[in-house]
Amino acid sequence: MSDIRTIRFTLNGTKVSKVVEAHETVVDVLTRKFDLSGTRESCRQGLCGCCTIYVDSNPVSSCLMLAWFLDGTDVRTIEGLADGDTLDPVQEAFIEAGAFQCGFCTSGFIMMVKHLLSENPDPSDEEIRHRLAGNLCRCSAYPEIMDAVKIAAAKARSVAKARP
Amino acid sequence: MEVAGLRGFDIVEPSSLEEAFGLLGTGDPAVRPMGGGTALMLMMKSELFKPTRLVSLRKLGEPFHGLGESADGKWVRIGALNTFSMLDHSPLMKSHFPIISRTMNTLANLRVRNVASVGGNLAHGDPHLDLPPVWMALDGEVRIVGPSGERVSAVADLYKGYYETTLEEGELITELRVPVKPDWKSSYTKVTTRAAHDWPAIGLAISVQLSGRQIQDLRIVLSAALDKPTRLTAAETVLRGRDIGEALLREAADAATEEVELETDNRGSQEYKTHLLRIYVTRALQDLVSEAAPK
Repeated sequence: MSDIRTIRFTLNGTKVSKVVEAHETVVDVLTRKFDLSGTRESCRQGLCGCCTIYVDSNPVSSCLMLAWFLDGTDVRTIEGLADGDTLDPVQEAFIEAGAFQCGFCTSGFIMMVKHLLSENPDPSDEEIRHRLAGNLCRCSAYPEIMDAVKIAAAKARSVAKARP
Repeated sequence: MEVAGLRGFDIVEPSSLEEAFGLLGTGDPAVRPMGGGTALMLMMKSELFKPTRLVSLRKLGEPFHGLGESADGKWVRIGALNTFSMLDHSPLMKSHFPIISRTMNTLANLRVRNVASVGGNLAHGDPHLDLPPVWMALDGEVRIVGPSGERVSAVADLYKGYYETTLEEGELITELRVPVKPDWKSSYTKVTTRAAHDWPAIGLAISVQLSGRQIQDLRIVLSAALDKPTRLTAAETVLRGRDIGEALLREAADAATEEVELETDNRGSQEYKTHLLRIYVTRALQDLVSEAAPK
């Protein structure tokens, strides 16, 4: 039967194809076959958020998804957020707030925060905490992460205001 | 990281039911249908389940999709491949079954809710899941198709025991139907003993039809602390037709804790969970009554 196939999908705006085996998870394929190391596997159970990517604009845990099922989808990873050398406002906000120590969880947090702000440009503390309850930072940079979300939200709102 | 549970299987994606039945009907319990796959992936990664073949249902089309009201408005049909997020965002669900959005609040996290499917969740048979007891309290039923035809089952009758369902080999849940009952109120209490988003120590889904402070009819479903989600019929009998008051709630809590023998596990001892049940069945009923008929 079929334990190997070629998947075709869009990765950070570029059409790509890759041969994958049935057992390969999305995070494995991104890391090993596309050399994109920003998406990380940590808890391996969908609890920690380090492996967050967008599939068709929805955040998913790439450690709980088989690469097989990426066929035909539109995938965005942390590497696809910046516009050339210009960082995404959420990335800038994390740097400004110093919202990390080791940085292992940071891309997952940034992906979740960017998605939160796209749905809710001015989230309350409770809404932020609730949404990020599925992301773990073992360096415990949570207070700075809260600051970063607020800085990012203010940046996004001022950009929106500046638009004609 | 290489995991033995994630080795040596193939994936097939049938596009018709006949093809799916053919692929599933092998007599091999390691051939499994897959909806969103989140729960199955956890079992594979922890090596509790080592598949030989995964039969993805995602290309099966219409009978598994869609979410809408019946023409007479008496029930809502939910295709089995709807994700939890689709339910969470559905205005129809919000207006008829606000309990669902409230339950989603503490159900796993957004990334899992974006993938996990209604049907897969029902077929998984893990007694700790939050939604099966809720569908039971709402009198939900599932449409099941299989090689020998089609049948309908109450969600309550899907469960035989710990991870055991009444689904036969090759049978697939295509949709869930939930009756619309405008004069009923319902709540789900997820009692966790470690973190808010943890698996529950006990789950308690209750729906009531009230007339003032009198309980006309009700469903109380307990999950997580038993081998399967279970109706607490003795407690229901105590409460049915009577006015809510302190003495009645005590009597109902006594009945509830006497009719089941809860499991001890790493979320609490039998004694502790029995205490939790007593407290939370009382609080949940009080809240439902005061929400419907404020003093």
